[in-house]
Amino acid sequence: MARFIAAIASLICMTSGFMAEPAMARPVSYEGGWTLIEETDRQSTALWVHYTVNPSLSLGWRTEWDRQNDVLFNGPQATWLAKRWFGENYQANLYGFAGAGAIEGINGNPADREAAAFIGAMADWETRRLFASYKARGLEGGTVDGSFMQAARVGFAPYEGDTGDLHTWLMLEIDHRPDADDPVGVTPLVRFFKGAALFEAGWSVTDDEPMLNFQYRF
Amino acid sequence: MIRTLFLSSAFGALALAVPALTSAYALQMQHDDMQHEDMKHQDMKHQDMDHGEHDHEAHDHKDHDMEADEAASGELVMLSRTAEIDAALAAGGEPAVAQVLGVVCDFCAKAMNKTFGKREEVAATYVDLDTKTLNLVFRPGQSLDDETIGELVKKAGYRIAAIHRGDALMVESAQGTGAE
Repeated sequence: MARFIAAIASLICMTSGFMAEPAMARPVSYEGGWTLIEETDRQSTALWVHYTVNPSLSLGWRTEWDRQNDVLFNGPQATWLAKRWFGENYQANLYGFAGAGAIEGINGNPADREAAAFIGAMADWETRRLFASYKARGLEGGTVDGSFMQAARVGFAPYEGDTGDLHTWLMLEIDHRPDADDPVGVTPLVRFFKGAALFEAGWSVTDDEPMLNFQYRF
Repeated sequence: MIRTLFLSSAFGALALAVPALTSAYALQMQHDDMQHEDMKHQDMKHQDMDHGEHDHEAHDHKDHDMEADEAASGELVMLSRTAEIDAALAAGGEPAVAQVLGVVCDFCAKAMNKTFGKREEVAATYVDLDTKTLNLVFRPGQSLDDETIGELVKKAGYRIAAIHRGDALMVESAQGTGAE
């Protein structure tokens, strides 16, 4: 655990001022809005900051540390809102995203810096009480060439909070990483949402690793 | 290999379930989303309508709450109140309420508050998740037309269902409730 905390601290130091990609919550904001995202799951830790150019496109910088493979990715990311479905009581979104940059070994991994790129898609559906999402991403480059992950999440809000209240969600995420020692991971988590801030804390019962996600919309 | 295929199939099913669920819900919501202005009145023929079973005298009107019916039908909506909204009303600003589709979380509220807060015509703004409305009070003597409000909501990432002003808007006074 101490190693994990030290690693997080070192990553934050290394990447301060950088940004990351969206996990499962609104990767495109309002026109002119900035969003800061931190994501830590059983495989990696990422920082992402993006700026929403228009309601369908955000551009940002992603720094991602793959803790399992000791590699670090840095590069810009674009996220495109392909389609948003509106209803009186629901919203659903389909996103595509892609990024390119450099990947290199860290923490004793001697892998040289090489070009890398990723591409993926996300979909979500949400009411004030129910949530479902899916995300898939493939990455090419460096020692993790050809890596693929996908994750699906479902959630339930035990109560409906009004504007500005503390919103609480109970969620379950199942991820699939074919290259991992445990290809399928199960992570129950709780999401707290208030105003412009979102915080998620969970625990991977597969790997005994924490999930810690934070998002702030400026 | 079989395990990998099984897992991929399982995730594929989950991936399909989200849009399928969305589509099913969208079908269910179609009637809720219908707006009066969307109906094609020019295609309606009075003589084609069946009035035969309509007996006005047989209706019981004594428990009929017209105001509640109008609010429920979307023709009369109530302005949500905050200290900022109250101050802007007290200063003499005109209110407007927009019913917005897709408002499900505080990020939606943040997006619209930020977008409208930048406009000099707007004195106060509040997004009410419970009523799914964007509540605006303009500076005295200023306003935004419906088209501009619709464009700004679109920039925030959402969509307007209807905009209410004047007589179509119910503003609760400090002493009670009344239409203004």
